[in-house]
Amino acid sequence: MEHTPRTSRLRFLALLPASALLLAGCATDQGESDSTTLTVWHYFSEDTQVGVMTAYEEMFEASHPDVDVENVFVPYDQYTSKLIAGVGSATGPDVVVFNGGEASTLALAGTLAPMTEYWDSFADAGQFPDGVVHRIDGEVYMAQGYVNLLGLWYNQDILTEIGVEVPTTVDELTAAMEAAKQAGYEGITLSGLSQGQGEWQAYPWLSASGFTWDNLDEAGLTAGYELVKSWVDAGYLSGESATWDQTVPFQRFAAGGVAFAENGNWQQGTAASTAEFEYGVAALPIGDGGQVYLGGEAEGIGAFSENPDLAWEYLSETFYSAEGQLASLEGSGTIPSRLDVAEDEGVTGNPLLAGFAESVARNGANYPPANALPESVSDLQLLGGQMWSSVISGQLSPADAAAQLIEGVQPFLR
Amino acid sequence: MTTATTRRPSRWMPSTPVASTMRFLLFLAYGIPIVWILTTSLKQPGDVLSRDAAFFFEPTLDAYVAALSNGGLLDAALQSLTIASATTVLTLVLAVPAAYFLARVQGGWSTALLTGLIVLQIMPQTSMVIPLFQVFGEWRILDQTIAVILADTALLTPFAVLLLRPFFRSVPETLEEAASIDGASTWRTFRSILVPLISNGLATTATLIFLISWGEFLYAVNFFLSPGNYPLSALLAQQVSAYGINWPGLMALAVITSIPILVLFSFTYRFLKEGLTLGAVK
Amino acid sequence: MSTRALSTTATGRTSRRGRAARWPYILPAAIFLAVLSAYPLVQLVRMSVSAVSSRTLRDPWEFTGLDNLMRGIESGDTGAALLRTLIFVTIVFTVGMIGGLAAALALRGRRGSSGFLLALMVFVWALPPVVNGSVWKFLLGDAGLFNELARTVGLTDTAIPFLYDQHLSLISVALVNSWAVVPFNALVFRAALMGIPPEVIEAAKLDGASAWQEIVHILVPSVRATAVVLSVLTVVYAFRSFDFIYVMTYGGPGTSTVTLPFLAYLQAFVRYDFGLGAATSIVAGALVIVLAIAYARNVRKEEAA
Repeated sequence: MEHTPRTSRLRFLALLPASALLLAGCATDQGESDSTTLTVWHYFSEDTQVGVMTAYEEMFEASHPDVDVENVFVPYDQYTSKLIAGVGSATGPDVVVFNGGEASTLALAGTLAPMTEYWDSFADAGQFPDGVVHRIDGEVYMAQGYVNLLGLWYNQDILTEIGVEVPTTVDELTAAMEAAKQAGYEGITLSGLSQGQGEWQAYPWLSASGFTWDNLDEAGLTAGYELVKSWVDAGYLSGESATWDQTVPFQRFAAGGVAFAENGNWQQGTAASTAEFEYGVAALPIGDGGQVYLGGEAEGIGAFSENPDLAWEYLSETFYSAEGQLASLEGSGTIPSRLDVAEDEGVTGNPLLAGFAESVARNGANYPPANALPESVSDLQLLGGQMWSSVISGQLSPADAAAQLIEGVQPFLR
Repeated sequence: MTTATTRRPSRWMPSTPVASTMRFLLFLAYGIPIVWILTTSLKQPGDVLSRDAAFFFEPTLDAYVAALSNGGLLDAALQSLTIASATTVLTLVLAVPAAYFLARVQGGWSTALLTGLIVLQIMPQTSMVIPLFQVFGEWRILDQTIAVILADTALLTPFAVLLLRPFFRSVPETLEEAASIDGASTWRTFRSILVPLISNGLATTATLIFLISWGEFLYAVNFFLSPGNYPLSALLAQQVSAYGINWPGLMALAVITSIPILVLFSFTYRFLKEGLTLGAVK
Repeated sequence: MSTRALSTTATGRTSRRGRAARWPYILPAAIFLAVLSAYPLVQLVRMSVSAVSSRTLRDPWEFTGLDNLMRGIESGDTGAALLRTLIFVTIVFTVGMIGGLAAALALRGRRGSSGFLLALMVFVWALPPVVNGSVWKFLLGDAGLFNELARTVGLTDTAIPFLYDQHLSLISVALVNSWAVVPFNALVFRAALMGIPPEVIEAAKLDGASAWQEIVHILVPSVRATAVVLSVLTVVYAFRSFDFIYVMTYGGPGTSTVTLPFLAYLQAFVRYDFGLGAATSIVAGALVIVLAIAYARNVRKEEAA
């Protein structure tokens, strides 16, 4: 009697391989169609951003009925390794959409095809400021259809309650946070993560204190670090920000109870859907000397694209066209990179975007910094993030962090 | 003796205060995160980070509705099932005989192989991606389910061999000798006597392999090139991006994708038997 | 106990006679792993002694000997990460093994609550690290459950910096990793405990052994072989653990939780210095190899006895 259940179990186990192989057979059976497929890799998962990608797909398929645009989501963290892995076996997407700050990494790894010829014969190339066209060793590899940047989000309800105006200088900001704290609110949220996102959020404050990548002023850098350290010590900013990326600090702001947030234009959707208070955006109060990186996704042609001409047509008709940039502006609140579209009423007439637009004009800085060695961009961003995080959490004193950054960053700069 | 054997299960019950305290601690340690996951999955995105809504909020099934209305969910579930079951079968087919060999054969070779199996485990999975991508590219199986199955099997076979080996060791070798005296071939002894005897270890190892390959995502994301092929684990990763995280969506999808795991577990839980009843085999 | 003695006397004879017949059992696994696991490992070793960046990945790699290793050591990164890794591994190993065995002992019966608890633990274990890591990040945050409790009982008036204090963060992440490994160890220990012949336990009970004596003298020694394997697997897991650090702290605050696997990740996949990252992985690997040899020797001794 003892063996009966056992045999039935074994029979069950024996059935598994057959069924599994059957399933594997079904799943690998891919349908082939006659139309040309244009593969576009992106890492967007926000509904609004995915919506823009779908709108681009539809725009291009309407003008090219024989083309099938396939948008492929690749998680940001896997994106580069997947692209680089493809180099060995000469595979990859037709169109690459990736963080413009890392364009040089992708280009140097041989994952992108140079698009200098296309760019030079592009009638609208003059509409694009230099900062959004990524050239490496004299070749154009990527260009951006829009820019993303940081601004100062504020909770108008709290400002009204504590009776302060939107700050326009760092001192006013500090005073406003003190008043907010007295009234029982948190001062500000930002990202202090020990990687590129932290570096990206640190630079406006550091540059406002006199440190820039072309002027490695240790005193200015120390002052910048001391500023944020004083915010933590005074309780305006939680030390917790040392481990948060940019998303959660904004969600905290949007949940209420925080006076300010240093965050980007891409958060408009979250703000609209979540915040139950009146809010606004101003340019970061960093004066004329402060710098705000002009980030955002850049687009390029994959090195192993079988249809580079078609990939270029896609880019020039979507990301780089006035129509495409407007669609992205409406869909996900991006700031158009084309000078002609930046004048559009959709930008100038949008009170939230006005703050950002002011920053672009006054404080806009190349991202990555123009004097960073192309192969060392990510080293620089990582080091900057780690120092920023160390200061916020108290692992390093502002002076030590400043000294370490300035010593460590030398080999990464021209 | 007979009465003692039949009453055995009750005597197995550890009902000391220490055991009860341990159970209570485990309940807290694993229950609290689950409660957090479930409550978050029932919140509006705006309530997740709000202190006021930590415990008292208006529950909504929006996240579940959104996750279930995703057209790709069923395909992804099927893909996960394919990958996990094929990986489990293939891993066991390779690992069970190998574990038996390493349990029975002694000497320099066997020691070297055991050391080798551990060494194979130290590779960070991230650094396996690029070389494996090359291999699969040469074999022309990129973007096919089989590539992920092979990679997962390579990842899990050393682990399965190491886990199964002590179970084979615990089976007395006299049993095999008795069978060989009766004229059974080595293979038949292995298949019809030894493998059934280690069913506890086998079921546990199979469960673990299935669960790990069900959740494996790094290989899936790297070796599939078309979006339609992603399994559930890769779908989960889509909830998180540099531009935002939909916490209720992530948690709801995590709950949905883990339900098959509970079903499988309750199946193998009943499978485990207490004690080797040697008499029944002879 | 008598069966055990019998089997060891017979072992020597059969294994010599049966060895030739048994070789086919290992071949499929050996060939499979040689192709799909050993090759990437060889590539990693080659990479660790070559100058490989994203720019030169496609070209023939330039041999640079121990240059990568020396660069890592001279920058101070490797040494600091090594120390953190040892602390991390010690915590994960201790809590993971003791917790796993204790859980298996507490749950070894067949009552309903054991099944429910095991199901709960396995369910949690099977969730992806991005989910588990995020949950713990919230639970340990300023506004999280643990800080709410700490404030309620008056332990702190602000918040305990579980994840952003430079010392506490490593311990917190290690404890969450231990938490994640306990269900696995418990499941395997439980399977081994249930394989103990009931006669052995009955004999002890008839001799009047207490529950504690039963555990110490009967149960634990009987699962020794499993415990040794689990120790190895737990240490290996801890040595390559990366997911939770990635989700919970990203190596921060500053560099407080940059362990060897995370350092290797940063070097290879953030800075794209594949050679440097491979060398760091090899440092972690070398430690595991020492452990592997110790394990294999232990196995030989145990089986020769």
